[in-house]
Parts: sequence; structure tokens; C-alpha cells
Amino acid sequence: MRRREYWILILPSIFVMFGLLLIPIYRTIEWSLKDVNYGEAGTFVGLDNYVRALTDPRFGSSVLFTVGLTLSVMVVVIVLGYILAVLVNNLGKMRPLVLGIILISYVIPNVVGATMFSWLFDGNFGGVANVVIGWFTDHDVLWFTETWPNRIMVGLNIVWAMLPFSMLILLAGLQGVPREIIEAAKIDGAGTMGRHLHIILPSIRGMVGFVAIITIMDVLRVFDNLIPLAPNAVLNGNETIALYTYNMAFQDGGQELGLGSVINVLTILIMLVMLIPFIRNTMKEAKSA
Amino acid sequence: MTAAAEAIIKGPRQLREKRRRNARPKAQPMMSGLFLAIVCVAMLAPFIWTLLSVTKPTDVAFANPPVLAYEPTAQAFVDLWQTTNFYQYLINTGIVAVGSTIVALVIGLPAAYALARAPGYVSAILLILALVFRSLPRFAVVLPMYELSRQLGIHDTTFALGAALVAINQPFSIWLLRNFFVKLPEQIDEAAMIDGCSRFQALRRVIIPMMGPGILTAGVFMFLFAFQEYLTPLILTDTKAQTVPLFIATQLGQTLPMLQQAGAAAILLTGLVVLFAFIAQKYLVAGLSDGAGK
Repeated sequence: MRRREYWILILPSIFVMFGLLLIPIYRTIEWSLKDVNYGEAGTFVGLDNYVRALTDPRFGSSVLFTVGLTLSVMVVVIVLGYILAVLVNNLGKMRPLVLGIILISYVIPNVVGATMFSWLFDGNFGGVANVVIGWFTDHDVLWFTETWPNRIMVGLNIVWAMLPFSMLILLAGLQGVPREIIEAAKIDGAGTMGRHLHIILPSIRGMVGFVAIITIMDVLRVFDNLIPLAPNAVLNGNETIALYTYNMAFQDGGQELGLGSVINVLTILIMLVMLIPFIRNTMKEAKSA
Repeated sequence: MTAAAEAIIKGPRQLREKRRRNARPKAQPMMSGLFLAIVCVAMLAPFIWTLLSVTKPTDVAFANPPVLAYEPTAQAFVDLWQTTNFYQYLINTGIVAVGSTIVALVIGLPAAYALARAPGYVSAILLILALVFRSLPRFAVVLPMYELSRQLGIHDTTFALGAALVAINQPFSIWLLRNFFVKLPEQIDEAAMIDGCSRFQALRRVIIPMMGPGILTAGVFMFLFAFQEYLTPLILTDTKAQTVPLFIATQLGQTLPMLQQAGAAAILLTGLVVLFAFIAQKYLVAGLSDGAGK
């Protein structure tokens, strides 16, 4: 391909990405070094915002909550997703129906799904969750005002929203495992558990890794789900990093825009570190092609 | 590509046929069937409960413990249509989703083609940049966009929201489309150009028509992403250009009858999205499983 052709084809996309993504990121970095509000030039304060962010206990607890949430959701989503994928893979005629039902929570907007999810727990909507719990104990759970019940509800909702993705990717992986290998293991006397642990899981480990990395990235930036599910997030210590950024940099006129921008910059740095293996892969692929 | 998706949706043929021959249920399939049934009910529970809540008459809709025997009514849907600007928000959402998908494809297709056909350092760097852009914290780009849109006087317009979504989804779309172009043999381009096409004519008349399923897949995802977006319209719109997800979320702080309308809106939106996903299921599954192939 001629050089001129290459640039004509690629320029519109570069123009959009640089103009509407790279310049905003530059602005965010600039804000992180300033005492500033929207539309103002602001005053340069050096690393002052960084010091304030890193010493803010509220930021610390939001990091802890987000990381804990990410790890627990990731484990549940992978284990449950794998079990579901195996079961769905053994289905016959019912398969498209079951697959369709499971995929619904993936295609609807997160915030809408979380809204409907919250009504299962909301006393104003009849509190179905507490009715069910009431069959077993007398304890009345306060899902929105107590820290741990709220955490569990948020976690359940994110699992509900991310499970379809995990199941579908792992299902696609299972589809690629040759039946002969499984049959051979059966003849060699491997039990059900052994077949899964030593034959199937190792051959789809790429898929498991992919689900893990996407889940981590998605849960680390959870924001939408908390709007309906955690109205008392700040009080309960259930603020995620993204919600903390929003509360600092946009709520009530964005008085702490500099501080919020610091969180954005730090998040970008963490994401870059996590992307290193993918960046290396892309480099290798581009060189070999 | 879509053949693989079909296999994922319907399952391998032997399995479908084997079942018919020995239909006697065993204990283990019974257990797994029960487990799957419970999972399905749990996945559907929020929709079922919302549907029940919005079809109840307002005086029993919020009773605790819940009332299950009631005369169903569609009043919440009527109120939603008559007393709120729901249809306006629905139109906004549609315009933004369709518009940003088309523009993103028009911009992304040529770029993805060039990235697939001309590997080298420039392409590698661009693909890596796209990968980085794709995983950015959303606020890092949307908050500066907010400032910019106010300065340009386009805050709270579907145009600003659409433009933002084109940019935000561009990295994803060029990656996905590039992976489809890579699978198409380069000889096709060469044959077309030997027959007298220029590079651009070859792309427009020969290659893009052959990319049909790939373009549809990318389009389905960009449409869905734009439709689902909450954070971006939350920052970039106010009242005029509001979208449906945003409308539903802002109804939450309101009084109880308005909550029922929010529920009705949620049910309508779910219905629309599920219908769309049902029509586009092949492309959805193909795109998802292809993303994992890397």
C-alpha cells in the first residue's frame, strides 16, 4: 500500500482519537496539577493535589473497597461462569432458550439493570428479598443503609451483570476442546473432576485469562451500578474509585476538580501497567506480520 | 465467522441428535437441570418483579409485604407516555445510538483496513494507543469534554453526545474491524486492482461488500454500547438531550407513582433491547467469542 493511501485511510480515525481522546487526557493531566474549576485557567499547585489525594482516608477506603469487590466478583464470575458453560454445553434443544435468558442482563444498560435489581431488595417495592430471607430467619436486613448487606447486594448485582459474558466466552472455549481428548481421558480412567481440572481447564486457560482481565478492568471502573444500589455509598464506605472521582470532580459544581483529575491520572497509570502483556503481544504480532 | 456463532448458540449436532435416541433422564442431568432452572429464575427475577410492580394499581404497588393478587393495569405505561417526555428521550437515545454507530463505521472502516493491510511500526503504535484508549477511565475524557462542550455552546445536545460516543467507541471498533480484515486474504485486493480498480475502489466495491457480517457485528456492538451508556450522557447532557437510561436513573429520587413510571420505562427499554439482541444474536455471539480468540 502506498504511503499516501495509508494516511488518507487512517487520518479521519486518528483525527477523532487524538482530538477527542488524547487532548482531553492532556487536559486531565493539566487539571491534576492545578487548583482549578471548569472553564478557568486555574493556578499551578505542583503535586499538592496528589499529596492530598493519597492522604485522603476516603480515597484509601474507596481503593480498598474497589479492589476487594473486583477480586471477589472475578472469582465468583469465573467459577460460576465455568459451571454454567459446562451445563449449557451439555444441553440439547433447550440450549438457545437458556442461553438467551442468561444473556438478557448483559445487553440491557447497566444502570437500568441495577435499578430493577435494587427493587428486589427495596422495602418500598415490597422487599421480596427480605420476604424470602424471612422464611429462614427473623432477621430483617437493611440492604441500603448497612455497610455489609449493601456490599453483598452490590456484588450480587455486578455478578448478575457480568456472568453472561464470562459464561459465553468460556462456552466458546469449551466448544474448541476436541472431544477425542476428553474421550481418551475417560478411557484412561479420569473422573469427572479430574477431566475438568487436568484436561479441559488447561486447554481453555487463555479464555479464563481473558475473562479475568476484562472482569478486572470492568469492575475497577464500576460506577453506573452504584447510583441506584448504593445511595449511601459515602456513609457506608462503599464508594468505588470512579464514584469517588465523580463526587470530587463533578458533584456540587466540581469544587475538587484537581483532586478528581489526580485519581484519573493514577487510574490511567495502573491500567497501563496491567496492559503491558497485551502491548507486548501487539508489538510482536505487528513485527512478525 | 457466523457459522461458529451458530454452533455456540445451538450446540454441536451430535449432541442434539444423541439426546433424541436415549431420552431416559438420569439423576445427574436432573440435578444440573434443576440448577440451570434456578439460575434462569435468578437472572430473570429483577425483570419479573419490575413487571409485576408496574402492572399493579398504584395503591398496592408499594405494599410491604407485597400483594400478589391484583387486577393488572397498564396505567403506569399510559402515565409514562402522557406525563413525561419519555418518547423524546427514546428518540434522543435512538438518534445518538444510530448516528454514532454510522459515523464510527464510516471513520473506522478505512482505518481498520489500512491497519490490517499495512503492518509496521506506525500501525503497531496506533493499535497499542487504541488498546490504551479503550481501557481509560471514562471520567478522564468525559470531564474535559464537558468543559469543551460548554465553551463551544453545544452542551446538552445530541450532537455533542454522539460525537463523544464516536470517539469513545473508536478504539474498540478499529480493533474489531481490523481483526475481521486480517482474515480476508490479500489476494482479493490484488485481483480487484489488477482488474483496474484503484485502492479505494477496491475497498468500496469489493472488500467492504465481502465484509458484511464483520461490519454488522461491529455495528451491533457500537449500537449496543451507545444505547447502554449512562456515564457520558450524565455529564454531557442536562434536560434536552437526555437519554432513556439517564431518565430512569433520575426518576429514582422521585415520589412513588413516578417510580412506577420509571419501572414502566425500564420494562419498555428492556423489551426493545432484548428484541434487538434476538434479531442480532448471531452477530453478538460472533463478536463476543471473536474477542476472546486473541
